[in-house]
Amino acid sequence: MAKITKILMAAAMILPLANIAHAEGKVEGIHHWVSESEVGALKVLTGSLSTKGFTWEDSAVGGLSGANATQALRTRLAAGNPPATMQFLGYEGIEWAGEGVLRPLNDLYAANGWEAAIAPAILPFVKAGDTYFSVPINMHRQNWVWVNKAIFDQHGITEPKSWDELIAAGKKLKEAGVTPIALSDESWQILEVFEAILTDQNGTDFYKKAVIDLDEAALSGPEMIKAFDTLRDVRGLIDDGFTGRDWAVATGMVASGEAAMQIMGDWAKGEFLAKGMKPGVDFLCFPTPAATPNYKFVIDAFGTFVNEDAEINAGQDAWVATVMDPENQKNFNLIKGSIPARTDVSVDDFDDCAKRSFADREAAVAAGTMVGGLTEGFAAQPQYAGVFFDVVGQFFVTDMSSQDAVQMLVDGINNAR
Amino acid sequence: MDGLPGPRVPADRTEILANGHGDQMRKHRSFKALLTAQLPKLVLSPSLIAVFVGVYLFICWTAAISFSSSKMVPKFDFVGLEQYVRLWSTPRWITAVENLFVFTMLFLAITIALGLFIAILLDQRVRAEGVLRAIYLYPMALSFIVTGTAWKWILNPSLGVQKVVNDLGWQGFVFDWITRPEFAIYCVVIAAVWQSTGFAMAIFLAGLRGIDNSIIKAAQIEGAGMARIYLSIIVPMLRPAFLSVIVLLSYISIKSFDLVLALTNAGPGSATEMPSTFMFSATFRRNQMGVGAASAMMMLMTVAAIIIPYLYSELKEDRDGH
Repeated sequence: MAKITKILMAAAMILPLANIAHAEGKVEGIHHWVSESEVGALKVLTGSLSTKGFTWEDSAVGGLSGANATQALRTRLAAGNPPATMQFLGYEGIEWAGEGVLRPLNDLYAANGWEAAIAPAILPFVKAGDTYFSVPINMHRQNWVWVNKAIFDQHGITEPKSWDELIAAGKKLKEAGVTPIALSDESWQILEVFEAILTDQNGTDFYKKAVIDLDEAALSGPEMIKAFDTLRDVRGLIDDGFTGRDWAVATGMVASGEAAMQIMGDWAKGEFLAKGMKPGVDFLCFPTPAATPNYKFVIDAFGTFVNEDAEINAGQDAWVATVMDPENQKNFNLIKGSIPARTDVSVDDFDDCAKRSFADREAAVAAGTMVGGLTEGFAAQPQYAGVFFDVVGQFFVTDMSSQDAVQMLVDGINNAR
Repeated sequence: MDGLPGPRVPADRTEILANGHGDQMRKHRSFKALLTAQLPKLVLSPSLIAVFVGVYLFICWTAAISFSSSKMVPKFDFVGLEQYVRLWSTPRWITAVENLFVFTMLFLAITIALGLFIAILLDQRVRAEGVLRAIYLYPMALSFIVTGTAWKWILNPSLGVQKVVNDLGWQGFVFDWITRPEFAIYCVVIAAVWQSTGFAMAIFLAGLRGIDNSIIKAAQIEGAGMARIYLSIIVPMLRPAFLSVIVLLSYISIKSFDLVLALTNAGPGSATEMPSTFMFSATFRRNQMGVGAASAMMMLMTVAAIIIPYLYSELKEDRDGH
C-alpha cells in the first residue's frame, strides 16, 4: 500500500513538470526562404520568438518561387496536419482564407492598431471581407532600375525621366559598345519590364483597369499597343546571350560593368551589396521612369492555420506578434534588403535605396499610386497573370507585332475567365 | 488441369490410417492445400493493390478533377467538358502538343539510328570495346537536370559553341538555335539524343550479341554483302530490341519534364513547352487544377493510343510464335 502511495505521489510531482515542459510550445512554419540573407533575416524573427517561450520549428521548402512550398502545404492540409503558420505570396493567402483554413486575426489587429500601421494598398492581401488572415513582414518594390554608376558617368548619362529618355540613353550606350540592359528570356523578367512600361506610361488607374480588373476595352486599347512597342525597343537593347539567364546573373553583369542597367525588384540590391558595392557610389538605384511616380509592392505575409490545440494557438499568437513587432521588422528587413511592411518604422539605419523606397512609398500612399506587382502575383490572379507571362515572353523572343500580342492577350484572358 | 497430384496421395493415406487425430490432420492438410492454391494470389496482392491505388485510382481521380471546376484545391462538382474546351483554346497547349510530336519523332528516329549505328560499329570486335562502351553509356548516368544545364551553356551563343568557333577565327559562324523560338525545340532534341543514344546502343549491342554467327556465315556463303546482311537479316532479327528501345524512349520523351525545365525552362517565350511542363504549371503555379487535370488526361490518352496498339501487335505476334 505504501508503495502505491509513493508512486502516486511521485506521479503527482512529475505531472506539473511535464505540463511546464509542454507549455514550452513549438511554432512550425512553412516558408521558402533558403538563400543566405533570407535565412539570416528569418533568424531575427525566430530569435525574438524564443524570448516569448516558443521554439521555431523550421519547415523550409525552397524552389520554384514558392510553388514547392504550396505543394507541401496542400499535402499537409489534405492530411489534416497543417503547420502553425506559413509564408504567403500574392493570392495564396486569399485562396486559403476562402477555403476557411486560416485563423481570423481581427482581435490582434484591433488590439494593436496594426491596420493603421500598414499601407492601405496592401490590405487586399491580408484581409478577406472583414477578416484579417495574415500579417505582412516586409515590402519589396518591384519597379527599380539598377545602374552601374561608372558607366553612366563615363557616358554622361543621368537618371532618365521617361521611357523615351531611357531608351535613347540605351541606344547611346549600345553605340559605345556597352550592353545597355541586362535581361533574360525568362518570362517573369520580361514581364517586370513590360508592366513597368505599362504603368509608367499610362498611370496606375489604367494599370488597375487593365491588369487588376481585366477590363477588355483597356486590355485591347492603344495604350497596350504602345507599351508593347516600347518593349520592342527594349528588345533592341539587350545582348545575344540572354537565354536562360538567371536574374542574379543579369545583376552581376551590371555590377561588373558588362551591362549598364537592369530593371528588377529590390532583391537585386543584395547582389550589389554582397560584392561590397555601395549605393550612390558604385551603383545607382532609381524607380522606372514615370511622369507620375508609382510604387509596385511585393509583400511576404504569414497566415496561421485553424487548429483546435490551444497551445498551438498560443504559439501562433506569439508568432504573429513577433512578425508585427516594429523592431523585428526593422532588423529583419535590414538583412533581407526590403523595407518594413509597417510604415511607422524609423528609416535611419537603412541605406539610400531603402530610404528612397520609404519616401516613395509615403508619396505613393498619399497620391494613391501604390499598386501590387503583376509579376510577383499581387495584381491579377495566377491564371490571368499566366497569360501575361505567355504573351509577353513570346512577344519578346519572336517578331510578333504589337497588335497580334494584344489580340493574343485578350483571347488568353477571356479563355482563362 | 491436374497439375497438383502431390497433396492428394498423402490425403488418401491419412484416411487409411484414420485414428483420433484424423480430423485435425485433415483440417491442417486442407489449409495447406488452400495455401498452395492461393499463395500466388497472396504474394501478388500487395503489388496489385499498390498498382491499383497508385495508378488506376489516381487516374480516375484525375479524370474526375478534369470534369470539375477545380482551381487551387480539388473541388468535386461537374462542369462537363469545359476544362477541355479551355485547354484546347490555350495556344500554349497547342504548342506543347506540336512540340511533343516533333520532339518524340526526332528523338526516337535519331537516337535509334545513332544507337544502332554505334552498336554495329562496336560489334566489329574493335579493340578497347569495354572502354568505348562505357564512354557511350556514360551520359545515361547523369540526371536530365545536369544534361539540361550543361547543354544550356554549350548552346548559349555567347558562352558555348558559337563563341568558341568565333574565337577560333570564324567570325561569321552563328549557332543560336536556343535563342530562336522556331529552333529551340531542336536544342532539346540534341540534348536528349546525347543522353539516350548510349542507352539505345547498349540494348542493340546486347541484341547483336545474341544473333548466331552461323546465320551471318551462311548469308556470306550465299554471296550477300555486309550491308545487305545487316539490312535484311540482322536488323529484322533485332525486333525485340527495337520494341524495348521504342517503348522506353517514348516514355522518356513523354515525361521529358526535367530536361526541358533545366535546358530552356519551356522558353524562349513558350516555344519549348511540353505537355508535362504545361500540366505542372497549370496545376501548381496557375491555380488551374481543372485544366491541368484535363491536360494530364490528354497525355494519358495519347500514350495509350500509341503504345497500346503497338504493344498489342508486337506481343500478339510473339504469342503466335513469330
